[in-house]
Amino acid sequence: MLKIREVCKAFNNINVLKNISFDVEKSDILGCAGPSGCGKSTLLRCIQKLEIIDQGTIESNGRVCFMFQDFQLFPHMTVFQNLTYAPTLKNKNKKEDYQKQAVKILEDLGIESKANIYPGALSGGQKQRVALARSLMTNPDILLCDEPTSGLDVSTTMDVVSLLKSINEQFGVTMVIASHDLDFLTKISDRIILLKNGTITIDINAQEWNDPVNFLKAYY
Amino acid sequence: MNKIISNFLSIGSGVALTLKLTFGGVFIGLLLGVLLSVLRYSGIGRSVINRIISILRGTPLMLQLTFVYFMAPSIIGFRLSLLSAGILTFGVNSSAYIAEIVRAGIESLPKGQFEAAQALEIPRFYMWKDIILPQVIVNIFPAMINEVIALLKETALIATLGGMDIMRKSQTIAAEQYDYFMPLCIAGIYYYGLVLFIEFIGRKFESCKSYA
Ligand SMILES: Nc1ncnc2c1ncn2[C@@H]1O[C@H](COP(=O)(O)OP(=O)(O)OP(=O)(O)O)[C@@H](O)[C@H]1O
Ligand SMILES: [Mg+2]
Repeated sequence: MLKIREVCKAFNNINVLKNISFDVEKSDILGCAGPSGCGKSTLLRCIQKLEIIDQGTIESNGRVCFMFQDFQLFPHMTVFQNLTYAPTLKNKNKKEDYQKQAVKILEDLGIESKANIYPGALSGGQKQRVALARSLMTNPDILLCDEPTSGLDVSTTMDVVSLLKSINEQFGVTMVIASHDLDFLTKISDRIILLKNGTITIDINAQEWNDPVNFLKAYY
Repeated sequence: MNKIISNFLSIGSGVALTLKLTFGGVFIGLLLGVLLSVLRYSGIGRSVINRIISILRGTPLMLQLTFVYFMAPSIIGFRLSLLSAGILTFGVNSSAYIAEIVRAGIESLPKGQFEAAQALEIPRFYMWKDIILPQVIVNIFPAMINEVIALLKETALIATLGGMDIMRKSQTIAAEQYDYFMPLCIAGIYYYGLVLFIEFIGRKFESCKSYA
C-alpha cells in the first residue's frame, strides 16, 4: 500500500532522514515512535508530498490524507464547515451524507456540541480531535496522523484509539501514526518503528512482545 | 451666516463625486490588487507584475490621470467621461499599493493553511477563494482603511481636470467671492469629516470580526 525506499531528506545540510525504507501493507496500522526532533513529522510530510525528498522513492496506492501536528484548522470556518467543506466541494450531490458523517464523527469524538463554534474558541485537545475528524472526512485510503493524542487525557485518548480502530476495521484504511506516546502506540498499532538519528532502529510487530512499551523505552 | 450655510451646501454638492471616485477606485483597486498579488504569489508573470507595480508607484498620479483622460481617444478610440477616467486611474493606481498590502497579508498566514488545503485536495481556485483570501481580507482590513483614506484625499486631483468634487467646488466659490479662506476651510472640514467617518466605520467592523 505504501512503499518507501531509501528516502533521504535534509534541511540546511542537516540530514533528518537517512536512507529510510519500509513498507506498509493494506489495512495495517503502523506506529512511528521516536524522540522529539527525530523526524517523525518530516517523514509523514514527505509521504504526503508536502516536502520534496532529496533521494529515494515513495509509492502510495490511493488517496493519502494528513493530520497536522499543529492542526491547521481553518479559523474562519466553524468546526462543522471545517469538516464538510473539502468533501462537499468534491461531490456536491453527497452533501447530506457528508453532513451526517460529520455529525457521527464528532459524536464519536465527544465534541458534537462544538459543531458550530470557530476553532479559535476550542481547547488544544478539542482542536486536535477536530483536525483528526477533518482528515477522516476525506475518506482516505491512507491516513497519516501526526501526534493525534498529544494534548488529550487518558479517556479521550481511548476514544481516539477506538475511533481509529473502528475506521481501520470498517473501511480498511491504512494508517501511519507518529507519536511519542508509547502506550498509545502499542494500543493502536499492528507494528511499530522507532526512528532515531534519522534511521529506523527498531521495527517490531506489537504482538510479538509481551511488554513492548518497556522494550521500546530501552531503545529510546 | 447665510453665506456660510450656502457655501457649505454648495461645496457639499461635490461630496458625491469625491465618494464615487474613492469607492469606485477602491473597488477596482481591491479586485485588481488581489488578482495581481495572487498571480504573483503563484509565480505567474511575476516579473511583469513587479514592473507594472513599480511603474504605477514610480510615476505621479497626476500624470497617470491626465494621461488616461486625454490619451483614451487615441488608444481605445473613444472619450472616457471624467468620472470613468478618474475611477479607472485611481483604481489601477491604488491596485499597486493594495497588491503590496495583500502580499503582506498572504505572507502573514501560516504556510500550513496552504498545506492543509493541499492535503485535503482542495483545488487551487477554491483554496484562494474560500480558505486563503477570506483570512487575508480580515487581516488587511486596517491597512485597507488607510488606503481608502489616502485615496479619498488623492481624488482631489480630479479638480485639475474640472471634475466638480469638493476641491473644485470650493475653488469655484473662492473665485466667485474673491475669498479663499472660508471655502477652503469648508472643503477641509468635509474631507476631514469623511476621513473620520471612514475611520469610525473601520473600527466598527474591526470590533465585530466574525471569528476569534
Ligand atoms: N522546514 C524546516 N526547515 C528546517 N529544519 C526543519 C524543518 N522541518 C523540520 N526541521 C528539522 O528537522 C528535524 C526533525 O523535525 P520533525 O518535526 O520531523 O521532528 P519530530 O520527530 O516530528 O519531532 P516532534 O516529536 O517534536 O514533533 C528537527 O531537527 C527540525 O529542526
Ligand atoms: Mg512532529
